[in-house]
Amino acid sequence: MGIWDHVLLGFQAVFLGTEAFSIFGLPISVTVLMVLGGFLLGIAVGATPGLAGPMAMAIALPILISIFGFSSDAFLPVLGFLVGIMKGATVGGAVPAILFNTPGTPDAYMTTLDGWPMSKKGEAKKALRVAHFSSASGDTFSDIVLILCAPFLAVLVETYLDLPEKTGLLLLSLAFIASVIGNSVGKGLISMGLGLLAAMVATGEDFYPRLTMGIPSLNEGFPIASAILGVLIIGEVFRRLEDMRYGGVQKQGQAVASASASSRLGWAGLRPLLPYIGRSAVIGTAIGALPGIGSTLAATLGYSTGSTRHEKTKAPDAPSFGEGAPEGIAATEAANSSVSGANLIPVLSLGIPGNAAAVFLILAMDTIGGFNPGPSVFRLSGDGVNTEMVLAFGLFTTMFLANGLNWTIGGLFMRVVGVMARIPNHLLLPIVFLMTLTAIYVQETSLAAIWITLGFGVLGYLMRKLDISPLPFVIAFILSGKLEDTARQAFAATGADPFFLFKSPVALAFVVLTVVVVVANLRKSSK
Amino acid sequence: MFSNSKAERWLGLFCVAFALVLIFVWIPHDVETGAFQKVRRRLTIGDSLAPMVAGVVILLGGVLTYLSPSENAKTLDRKAILWVCLVVLSVAVSITIMRWFGPLVTELLTDQTYRSLRATAPWKYVGYVSGGGALVYLLIGVATRSWSLKYLLIGLLAALCMALFYDLPFEDLQLPPNGDV
Repeated sequence: MGIWDHVLLGFQAVFLGTEAFSIFGLPISVTVLMVLGGFLLGIAVGATPGLAGPMAMAIALPILISIFGFSSDAFLPVLGFLVGIMKGATVGGAVPAILFNTPGTPDAYMTTLDGWPMSKKGEAKKALRVAHFSSASGDTFSDIVLILCAPFLAVLVETYLDLPEKTGLLLLSLAFIASVIGNSVGKGLISMGLGLLAAMVATGEDFYPRLTMGIPSLNEGFPIASAILGVLIIGEVFRRLEDMRYGGVQKQGQAVASASASSRLGWAGLRPLLPYIGRSAVIGTAIGALPGIGSTLAATLGYSTGSTRHEKTKAPDAPSFGEGAPEGIAATEAANSSVSGANLIPVLSLGIPGNAAAVFLILAMDTIGGFNPGPSVFRLSGDGVNTEMVLAFGLFTTMFLANGLNWTIGGLFMRVVGVMARIPNHLLLPIVFLMTLTAIYVQETSLAAIWITLGFGVLGYLMRKLDISPLPFVIAFILSGKLEDTARQAFAATGADPFFLFKSPVALAFVVLTVVVVVANLRKSSK
Repeated sequence: MFSNSKAERWLGLFCVAFALVLIFVWIPHDVETGAFQKVRRRLTIGDSLAPMVAGVVILLGGVLTYLSPSENAKTLDRKAILWVCLVVLSVAVSITIMRWFGPLVTELLTDQTYRSLRATAPWKYVGYVSGGGALVYLLIGVATRSWSLKYLLIGLLAALCMALFYDLPFEDLQLPPNGDV
């Protein structure tokens, strides 16, 4: 079967999968419903300062697994829901940024710079429309690039990279993530080393569970959900609660501006925004395709690039960036939204997560089983069907479905969820904490998992206090097993050659690049 | 009180010390096979190699942090340590309530064990709602320094809603601590 047959099967798997109900004889599949549910939830979560897409994905995953189980039928509904959250949260983050001067998600900070001044001028609805249009455009562009690039990149990897080269590529990815995230290469490496180490507890090939210090409850290793949710979610909740204790509780959702009649955004209003959206979409997509660089940097770069252009081309009486320019919102929202699709390029082609949202997508794939992100996904197997490729195209379909929802109902829902920004954080965060612990217990059914989560939460908090980014830890935790397995296989396949990383030119190039990435970032941060 | 760069150097030194203990003490004593081993006359990678690589990465990170400390970095002060202790204590108290309050109530009010009632309402919710409510209440309390009864009610209500959210639609899910008793 060819590629197009797989595309068609993927499309069918989404729209003609298990039927939830039908409307006038038209079957509505469970996957379609899940994408819709995830998308609406994502907008609500994004619109709630204190919550973020990855947080909702983390809490939803164990519940979804409990509902759909571990069969391959679970893949598209579960991943569809998570993709919906991921996309919805990016759009929703702009709502409180515009209406309340409070970014719903970190990458929406730049949106406040022009969104809030527009709200104060009574143009809140117009600002929301600009944010929605730009976000949906950036997101769609990014998804198209994903679909065009991921299969080809995966085929390239499969064709040209053998086991030593794949080991080298994993090392390069980890070094890149450790070096680029945060302000210090040293701290990035510490975070990565700790992640690798934590994942190695009780694993390995020998019967004896290594590094458990004889503690029986560690014989199964650290549950992946405990480690990731602990460091990413619990650690963050600890830090924010501490900010409240010592910095005071801030009132949410103050000073809503009223909308004026000039809220329409016709073609005349959209046309000047297109160059900003186009540039930012390219910037966001390029940044999203690189593992470890998040949407916040994309938003910052998109905004600053847009600002430079705007100063040169704007009419004398038009507002500058930072004074309520719709172009500022467009540049920011297109950039941060176009990260989400491109982030899946390294996930699907190499099996390497690029950011926190991608971590939870990989975690879902890993938990459900039957889908191993990486080059094998896009391998054609003669006349047979490659189930993984069907699922991959099904996943692409869910992404476009979420885009379609974004274009059609996203804007309307965005304007409704402004009320979410009024939920006080000092009540919300402890409830999120309880919800996270409950989600972990539901999956692991053991209080030991809760204690382990608490331990990782403390680690996550300490890392934040010491300015150590937890993301290299999480990504290293996920890739650790893959790195060790690939290295073992490469060592065996090369006849126990200890220098297998230096024998092939491509593997050697990856190793050299690994060193170059670390050294270059070290020099940059020391300046 | 340390200057920021001095604190960074201490962090670097701590990581170096941890990595050295890991490589030279922990791994040799807690991993059965070495970095390489012979299996059926073939040399393979042993279970020690990967943790050693992790140790070397931490060591390198520690050395780099020590050599290039940042003046602007955040530091870990006494307030942060106290905060961690306070939060961990709050969670520990809540989980203890969650674990033991259900069995205590059934012991006092019924002649059956909690284990035999852990799938029966309302008993199966007692531990979760009381412990979960306490958790939310304590965390709100330590964050806001306010111990209003309103917060306790919010905590109990949130825990009850969550219990119903998980338990009503999904028959096979177990709320904490019901899988452990």
